[in-house]
Amino acid sequence: MPDLFLAMMKEEWRIHSTIFGSLGFALFPAVVASFAFLGSLALPIFSDVLPYAVVALLAHILFLLVGVMVGSFGLMGREFMNRRFGQASLVAYASRSLPVSERRIFAAFLVKDTVYYILLYVLPFAVGFAAATPFVSLDPGYGLIAFVSLTLAFLLGLSIVCCLSTLYARSVALLAGTVAALSVLALAALRLGAAAVPAALPPYAFFIDPAPEPLALSLLLILVPAAVSVLFVTVEYPDRTKRFKNSLDPLAGRVRALGSAHFIAKDALDLLRSEGGAGKVIFSFLLPLGLVWVCLRVLIRFIPGLDPLVVFAVLLGVISATIYNWLTEFDSFTSYAFLPVEVPEVIDAKLKSYGLANLLPVTVLVLAAATAGGAGTFLPALATFLSVSAYTLAVTVYLTGLHPNVMLYHAGVFLRYLLAISPALLLLIFASIFDPAYASLSLLLIVPAALLLSRGRTKWQAWEMPGY
Amino acid sequence: MRQIIEANDLTKDYGNVTAVNRVSFSVTEGELFGLLGPNGSGKTTMIRMLTGQVRPTSGSARVMGLDAAKDPVGVRGLVGIIPEQETPPSFLTAEEYLHFVASIRNLDRVDERCDRWFDLLEFGDKRDVLCKDLSRGTRQKLMFAQAFLHEPRLALIDEPLINLDPIMQRTVKDFLQEYVRDGGTVFFSTHILEIAEEICDRIGILHNGRLLHSGQLEDLVGSGRHLESFFLDLVKGDTGA
Repeated sequence: MPDLFLAMMKEEWRIHSTIFGSLGFALFPAVVASFAFLGSLALPIFSDVLPYAVVALLAHILFLLVGVMVGSFGLMGREFMNRRFGQASLVAYASRSLPVSERRIFAAFLVKDTVYYILLYVLPFAVGFAAATPFVSLDPGYGLIAFVSLTLAFLLGLSIVCCLSTLYARSVALLAGTVAALSVLALAALRLGAAAVPAALPPYAFFIDPAPEPLALSLLLILVPAAVSVLFVTVEYPDRTKRFKNSLDPLAGRVRALGSAHFIAKDALDLLRSEGGAGKVIFSFLLPLGLVWVCLRVLIRFIPGLDPLVVFAVLLGVISATIYNWLTEFDSFTSYAFLPVEVPEVIDAKLKSYGLANLLPVTVLVLAAATAGGAGTFLPALATFLSVSAYTLAVTVYLTGLHPNVMLYHAGVFLRYLLAISPALLLLIFASIFDPAYASLSLLLIVPAALLLSRGRTKWQAWEMPGY
Repeated sequence: MRQIIEANDLTKDYGNVTAVNRVSFSVTEGELFGLLGPNGSGKTTMIRMLTGQVRPTSGSARVMGLDAAKDPVGVRGLVGIIPEQETPPSFLTAEEYLHFVASIRNLDRVDERCDRWFDLLEFGDKRDVLCKDLSRGTRQKLMFAQAFLHEPRLALIDEPLINLDPIMQRTVKDFLQEYVRDGGTVFFSTHILEIAEEICDRIGILHNGRLLHSGQLEDLVGSGRHLESFFLDLVKGDTGA
């Protein structure tokens, strides 16, 4: 078991470090710690609007989602790995060729994910927060408590998704039944009023009140699903070979006027047919947006002059750029390198797909305007959304090419991404406080966006096809 | 007959490693040329340089009259390529992938072209299955079909029979020989000597990035030598000087 664990740790490290170099990846936790530190320093400024307890809850939800994300990627990411690194051959997939049981391999895999991602995300975040506590009049002991409770939140997400994945591998009906039963229990708890926030999220309850009960409950909620997933793990997935009639040509026919029609159609089919289907986009896009909209409705009461629709449009533009990550997730230029295609063609096709996908956030903006009665500021908000979305996308393309899901883990790239985007956004938000119409100045961002896209094409052509 | 591939002093360095070292050769139109060599001898790098996927460190290659380094897209537009490792996109069906390639190559009569390959390689029953769910053998058939969909005059193939069962290997070998009889040219790499011995007109032997031998297969057979013993003597006797 220790050998297996060490082999997996080395493997995980090498996957990341071979892409952006050991130093580039090793500095990623430092960036996380720096931002946790700076964010914690800002806590008193917003304490009237966002009480510490709410910030703590958001942090715990965030780490719960990180756990879900890490678990999903580890279990369903083989396809992704194949496209990124050729035929993936990881220790975790080797139970058929090594004299080690699936159960042992999977247990080692879970321990590896736990240790690796705690070191990568949770520990740096807690260290950054702990370092800031003396400056924001908090007991430094909260740093240690935050480390424990955030670790619990992360592990809760990881173990739940692993358990659901094991059930899925055994039987789709079993998975559906479990999810239905859990939903009924949750609804019943809500009706009984028992689902107060700390009770619903025990790691958060432990942070608020570090008593043995929430700790024990958290451990129980982590260990039981983890044990179920290890005990019942199987690599014999039910045969789910699906057949589809040719949808590529009809889809391409609908977007023929845009050019790159078959690339756009392929992007759409990649999204719809990969694990999670369109649901994953909704999960990663609409969920944060809903949260942002609720927070903004609260903020409006405390910051005079703040137009929630314009600020929402700014944040919507940034979050929309994550659609590009989905559009590139299952693609790799090596798929085209033997065809008469160049990198800029593929990037341009992605941009067109992105443009079409942006109809979803525009619809969200229209709905937000309608529900908030913000018709007066809709036009500046729309201009702001379109410009910020284009600019954020251009920064992403320039810095990460066709690899945003991988390259943003590079400490230097991530830092440059934040530095390129944050000042522009803050400037826009502050300008809009004076007059929402000033947000239309965001249209100026189109100029650097066009420049970045143009340079990005050349840069990534040279990266994907060295020498050309 | 004119030369369809001309390689002059082709060299490719990866850092301190020289994958291909000053290799010169030519392939005449209508030939079935086999590039033989052990694993890691530089065969794949050679094919990538000839098809404009990798730029040579020095030297040059002309393929169908085009400079592969100066007009890589032009070369890839003319020739058919089957890479060694690349697999078709996971979430397209076999049929959709061929239509996708046809759109990139601006082809007409797409259904007719696809049907021909589904019939020849006997995988029409898999046309509506996602590529990720296809067996390795069927994926190789699909890669074969995409390379010949535009009826190129030259095909460059990295390990053509990999993952194919013996029946399909026979079909593919027959097809390649017929394709060459009809005026096509095939350049392929392999480390399986029996394939070369059976179907090649001419062979080249690559070892440690250097071309140790290039010549007609029938000259070798005529001299009473067996390809395997000739290959082993050549490679084992190569001191790298």
